[in-house]
Amino acid sequence: MAFANMRRRPFRAALTACGVALGIGAFVALVGFADSFEEQWQQFYRTKGTDICVVRGTFMNKASTDESVGDRLRAIPVVADAAPVSFDLVEFTQDVSAVVQGWVDTSFEFEALTILQGRRFRGDEPAVMLGELLANSIGKKAGDQVEIQGAPLLVVGVFRAQDSFSNDTALLPLHQLQRLSDLGAKVAGFHVRLRPAAPGTTPEDHLRGAQRTIESQLPGLKAMSAGAVARDNHIVNFIRSTAWATSLIALFIAVLGVANTMAMSVFERTREIGVLRALGWRRSRIVRLILLEASTLGLAGGLLGLVAGHLGLWALASIRATAGLPRIYPSLIHFGQGLCIALIISLAAGLLPAWRGARFSPTAALRYE
Amino acid sequence: MSEHLLETRDLAKSYDGGRIQALRGVDLEVDAGEFVAIRGPSGSGKSTLLHLLGGLDTPSRGEVLYRGRTLSECADLDAYRSQSVGFVFQAFHLLPTLTALQNVQVPMCEGNRTRRERLERAEALLREVGLEERLQQYPNELSAGERQRVAIARSLANGPEILLADEPTGNLDSESAARILDLLGGLQSERNLTLLVVTHDPEVAERAQRQVHFRNGRICA
Repeated sequence: MAFANMRRRPFRAALTACGVALGIGAFVALVGFADSFEEQWQQFYRTKGTDICVVRGTFMNKASTDESVGDRLRAIPVVADAAPVSFDLVEFTQDVSAVVQGWVDTSFEFEALTILQGRRFRGDEPAVMLGELLANSIGKKAGDQVEIQGAPLLVVGVFRAQDSFSNDTALLPLHQLQRLSDLGAKVAGFHVRLRPAAPGTTPEDHLRGAQRTIESQLPGLKAMSAGAVARDNHIVNFIRSTAWATSLIALFIAVLGVANTMAMSVFERTREIGVLRALGWRRSRIVRLILLEASTLGLAGGLLGLVAGHLGLWALASIRATAGLPRIYPSLIHFGQGLCIALIISLAAGLLPAWRGARFSPTAALRYE
Repeated sequence: MSEHLLETRDLAKSYDGGRIQALRGVDLEVDAGEFVAIRGPSGSGKSTLLHLLGGLDTPSRGEVLYRGRTLSECADLDAYRSQSVGFVFQAFHLLPTLTALQNVQVPMCEGNRTRRERLERAEALLREVGLEERLQQYPNELSAGERQRVAIARSLANGPEILLADEPTGNLDSESAARILDLLGGLQSERNLTLLVVTHDPEVAERAQRQVHFRNGRICA
């Protein structure tokens, strides 16, 4: 009966479902983007084999730590290697800005890169390597020149990393970046790879133990697990909270749409509800009928929104200007979250109309014109 | 004292804070298997009585007894309406989005019948009222007489003892009205239904075993 009722006003039902679809689409796109952003960040560390980030204060400070700390870090037995890193935001063209990372040529993180053109930089040569997305964006290849902070640099190679962050960055010899960005002998921090855990030690305990050791031997520095940096940093938090806030506004509008449709539907069917009550239908069955209609609308809109949200993100990721966006892969979790939210908002939106419908007096409803 | 199937004692109903007195103390007994016509001018309280007998409304004073128990004591008025009483309305009140077959199944949603049992019973009832060829038609595809026959089949869905019909021929032409009356009369005698019909139509009233006349909310004859 619920489906038959929706067929009575197909245009209104379709519009309401589209309203829910917009809300769910926005949720999937924005929250999915935030999740994917965090996942890309996790991959940024995981694929390079970084276990711990050592910084002074925050990793966002590009010149917080003395480069000389590296030798003391490497001397700690649990540390297998420590790579100094720094970064800066550089304008390559009028339209394209990108993060430039400063690495030393011996960094273990090079192992995670695939050289597509040319070669790695050597020592402190005035050279740059471009991630493939950035190379495409600015139309440069190995052998070309780019200008960074006013200095011409030779593009010695183009690389592909396993995370889209790195693919949209450039790599510069650390000392070149320090010179060009006036960082002195400072770095943003160190990416640390640990030695394998001793038999019988869990990876978590090994990680926590290493953090404690590093922090005790290098007072004033923080040793954060790479996973925590990716998960809890304020950029990810800002993106996540913005995504939720924007999604909630869209979802609230969807709730109002469903509530309006259900209120109109109940109002129009006052007499029919009276007939159902006269035929012995219990109030609870009337409530269930109206909630079933609301949830069907919500789920239909939710499905539509899931498809539209994912298609929208795929389309964005396919456009050159936004190709650096992390790709959102449809996952069961997103699917389940989207449908659950669609179901919850539609049930919430249907509750008041359902309660009102169930309270109709049969005789008053039958007399209703 | 013999027990009547339905009985009202000093039944009164007022609306609008007592300004409108629809019923003013009605005492009525109806036995099982009786066919009673309730007559009277518009506004005399006939339909109000029917609604109170059917548990659609509650009295302002007095009581309705079903098998010796007052309806106000009845813990489950929904079950009374669903299982013991069938309603036939002047305006049919079929659900426009459902086919004839689906409309007849609506009352059976309250109950323990399986989907298949509901379907088979609805088909049998529609066959009984002569609509076996019209099962999949929507109300707007049926004539007025056919719609009322669907409504009658629906009223019998849960096998009630009592059929309450409010002007069942009021919206029908004379030929359809006669068919509906034949059908109601036949069903009443075959199933030993207790049939209460509110009507203005003398022809309907003449078929009843007993006529009760209302005026100004009271029984006058």
